[in-house]
Amino acid sequence: MTERLRSDEAAAYLAATAILAALVHFIVMLLAPYVASQDAFARLAPLGALNETVLLPRAGPAERMFPYADPAVAMAFCRYDLASGPIRVQAPAGRSFSSISFHTRRGLVFYALSDKAATHGVVDAVLGTPQEVRALAAHDDEESPSRDLRVAASAREGYVMVRVFSEFPSLYPEAEAEAKRLTCKPEPVPP
Amino acid sequence: MATFVRVLLVCALGLALGLLASAYALSRLSPFDRVGLGSWELEPHAGSTDADPYTLARLERTGEIPLAVGEGLQLVARVDDEGRALDARCVYNVGPRVPAARYWTLSLIDQDGWAIDNPARRYGFRSSEILRAGNGDFTITVAADVRPGNWLPIGRGRPFALALRLYDSPLGATAGAIDRSTAPRVTRVGCG
Repeated sequence: MTERLRSDEAAAYLAATAILAALVHFIVMLLAPYVASQDAFARLAPLGALNETVLLPRAGPAERMFPYADPAVAMAFCRYDLASGPIRVQAPAGRSFSSISFHTRRGLVFYALSDKAATHGVVDAVLGTPQEVRALAAHDDEESPSRDLRVAASAREGYVMVRVFSEFPSLYPEAEAEAKRLTCKPEPVPP
Repeated sequence: MATFVRVLLVCALGLALGLLASAYALSRLSPFDRVGLGSWELEPHAGSTDADPYTLARLERTGEIPLAVGEGLQLVARVDDEGRALDARCVYNVGPRVPAARYWTLSLIDQDGWAIDNPARRYGFRSSEILRAGNGDFTITVAADVRPGNWLPIGRGRPFALALRLYDSPLGATAGAIDRSTAPRVTRVGCG
């Protein structure tokens, strides 16, 4: 006793399968950053406390934490949480290329500046939530406005990454020393 | 009963296909942000707030820390100039030029982006350390055995890829506008 599958029924089953597959696919893709069990932030977080500068080990065959890392570039990071106020990020600019990038918890890069933006050899920025940045701006003296570069973060939590390029293999330790000089400090907000 | 079985089959098949499609999508660059330049591929918006969900999902899985748009660009080649997959048994010449950048590096990685061990302990070249011809052109030879000049050892016989990073490049998110002729060629010289 077999039921014959009519062609319109078969088409309906096929369509249902395709729609379900597409739905499953989009849910997986959209949720991936939120289950985030092995993303960069999850790998960085155990390495250091909040606002602490941590030097990452040099990329190489023995180092399996961050893929596609450049063995010619020294990297250090600090984790931020803007719940308790803005932070001031500073990094020295050396003679080679260096850059600071701001990443959210979910892996979005929302700002970056290179050593070309340095004044007196230091790249300096104040990172805050959009509200904190507005509050800082509201306290600006109209006669002598602050010269701070203020960056509004797209998320409360994330990390700041500094990259320092070494021009020659022998200069890598120097690049590491420079990367380690990244500082992330809570910035006092005027009352 | 037959209908019940069919609905069950539709659910199982839909789920399996959806998961397969996701696994496939996570293993490659975003279909909405992939730019090809000869052998090279890049995602120009990976390091910006315009990164699309496919890029973000892939970055989450791999744990990669992307270069921000203002920092530079990363290009990856998995095939040679003629579209053949890079093979550790072959010899390749990479050059003679790269797109404009203050510094660039070329390194050898496996399919997942990890450095491959080799006896020479050389994992890449910097623009500041390579040997060049008088006109600034260069050739980096990717081979398992020692070569004169800029030799990038392949290491153990595994499939490999090449990563080219352009630091402080004026190209940024306008990667679509990169002049194709400036992308280095990956030419297969021979296979042993």
